[in-house]
Amino acid sequence: MIKDITIGQYFPGKSFLHSLDARDKLCLTFAFIVMIFVCKNFFSLAVMLLLALLMSLLSRIPARTILKSFRPILPIIILTSALQLYYNDSGTVWFEYWKFKLTSGGVFTAIFMAVRICTLILVSSLLTYTTSPTLLTDAIERLLSPLKIFKVKVHTLAMMMTIALRFIPTLIDEIDRIMSAQKARGADFETGSLITRARALIPIFVPLFVSSFKRAYELAFAMECRCYRGGEGRTRMRKMKFSWRDYAAIAFFCGCFAAVIYLNISFEHLI
Amino acid sequence: MALLETKNLSYRYGTGTPFEVAALDDVNIQIEKGELLAIIGHTGSGKSTLVQHLNGLLKPQQGQVIIDGQDIWQDKHTVRAARFKVGLCFQYPEYQLFESTVYKDIAFGPVNMGLSEAEVDECVRASAEYVGLAPEQLSKSPFELSGGEKRRVAIAGVMAMRPEILVLDEPTAGLDPRGRERLMRLICNYRETTSNTVVIVSHNMDEVAEFATRVLVMNNSRVAMSGSVGEVFSRYSEISSMGLTVPQITSIFASLRSLGIELPDDVFTVERGEKELLSLLRREGRL
Repeated sequence: MIKDITIGQYFPGKSFLHSLDARDKLCLTFAFIVMIFVCKNFFSLAVMLLLALLMSLLSRIPARTILKSFRPILPIIILTSALQLYYNDSGTVWFEYWKFKLTSGGVFTAIFMAVRICTLILVSSLLTYTTSPTLLTDAIERLLSPLKIFKVKVHTLAMMMTIALRFIPTLIDEIDRIMSAQKARGADFETGSLITRARALIPIFVPLFVSSFKRAYELAFAMECRCYRGGEGRTRMRKMKFSWRDYAAIAFFCGCFAAVIYLNISFEHLI
Repeated sequence: MALLETKNLSYRYGTGTPFEVAALDDVNIQIEKGELLAIIGHTGSGKSTLVQHLNGLLKPQQGQVIIDGQDIWQDKHTVRAARFKVGLCFQYPEYQLFESTVYKDIAFGPVNMGLSEAEVDECVRASAEYVGLAPEQLSKSPFELSGGEKRRVAIAGVMAMRPEILVLDEPTAGLDPRGRERLMRLICNYRETTSNTVVIVSHNMDEVAEFATRVLVMNNSRVAMSGSVGEVFSRYSEISSMGLTVPQITSIFASLRSLGIELPDDVFTVERGEKELLSLLRREGRL
């Protein structure tokens, strides 16, 4: 059950999207998310959706895997759409029953919202699917490095993120193990009231915290043994370099963003 | 009739994904009352998956687990009953300690069984004695104890449920030689006083040879051999083809015999080896 979560997972590969510079991907994803919220009508949203679909094709990630990442946020999409259907009574009335009114405005806004959220999820999962966590944190560190003049410890933050990501699978395994061990002693996690169930988590979380702290000390010790002393004077193993693909991607994105702004201005209404 | 048996037990991990692997393949075993069964096998041979089936932590994909003639997966109650009839103690069990005192931690299992306070108290004190914990240690925090003591507290926590079968997955892993020896003696002692069944998964062949009454060898998700210590360890070449070894003393005796020295080929414990060597030296008049 815990192991089915694919958000934030990395799928190694050699596609066009994999080969892009991590800094480039990070900035473009960020810009893309901003642009999704700039979209005012279906025409500009369509441009963004097509761009997102093109990227998924270029990532060579199987469609099934991508679709799986939508599952956890499905309730949010349904809820937002339902609220739009109920509260929005602009446009023509198509159907009326008691207090409930189905209007064209409501339906269009609901679809608009759903597509917007889906595009958002699609693009952000593509980023983590095609970029390894180490590259991603490396990119964050480099992009944030100007903040050093304000005495922000960028390297430390990036290292913390790398370690946190690295230990997620380890912790999941650990939880599985502890749960089995406590079940063998008759612990019951599935029945009882909310309070009983919350209390049943104590036998899992106490051992989990104890071993996490122990692991943290061991890791710190191992890092010190290898002379780690923070970012100062530390050289990098990996050089990050923009290739023609990165410039091409930026140019293409800029074109799409220009189209979005043009379409926003030309069409005043949602559809 | 066997106390516990498995019939055609099969289990695969990751069915339907590219990572699908068989962990158990048509496993049929019987566990008799009162025996000390040792399960040995190479890493990944299916030992741990097998023991997790015995108390119903894993549901068989095929086959049955039968305790006292009853399939444990009949309904919800039989599964829960199986948890208490078969006490399973995982590898490195000291990681499962969580309570504020040793007493409360050992009592976790019995309390879950729904026993009365007096019964719980009796169970806790008896099992603390089995694992050699002094009564004053019961009020300490489990996190103050040494590694070996924590291990013994965790094992006592399983013993306290009074299981008919106590299953221990590598109970001595990571302990020093003296700790190993002591823990094995305590487990044997427990078995003799309670006349309960004990199942041990082990990688240490010397321990197995010394303490087990029967040995089960797992290889490639199947039961490869089953028999007494002598029956199993005398099949030297088969054992080593499965990536396992025989007890050290047995391989020493095998090398001595290959040098032409007349020694028996059924020596599996150091004690017996010592006797044989002494009698050889006496026979040759060198002692």
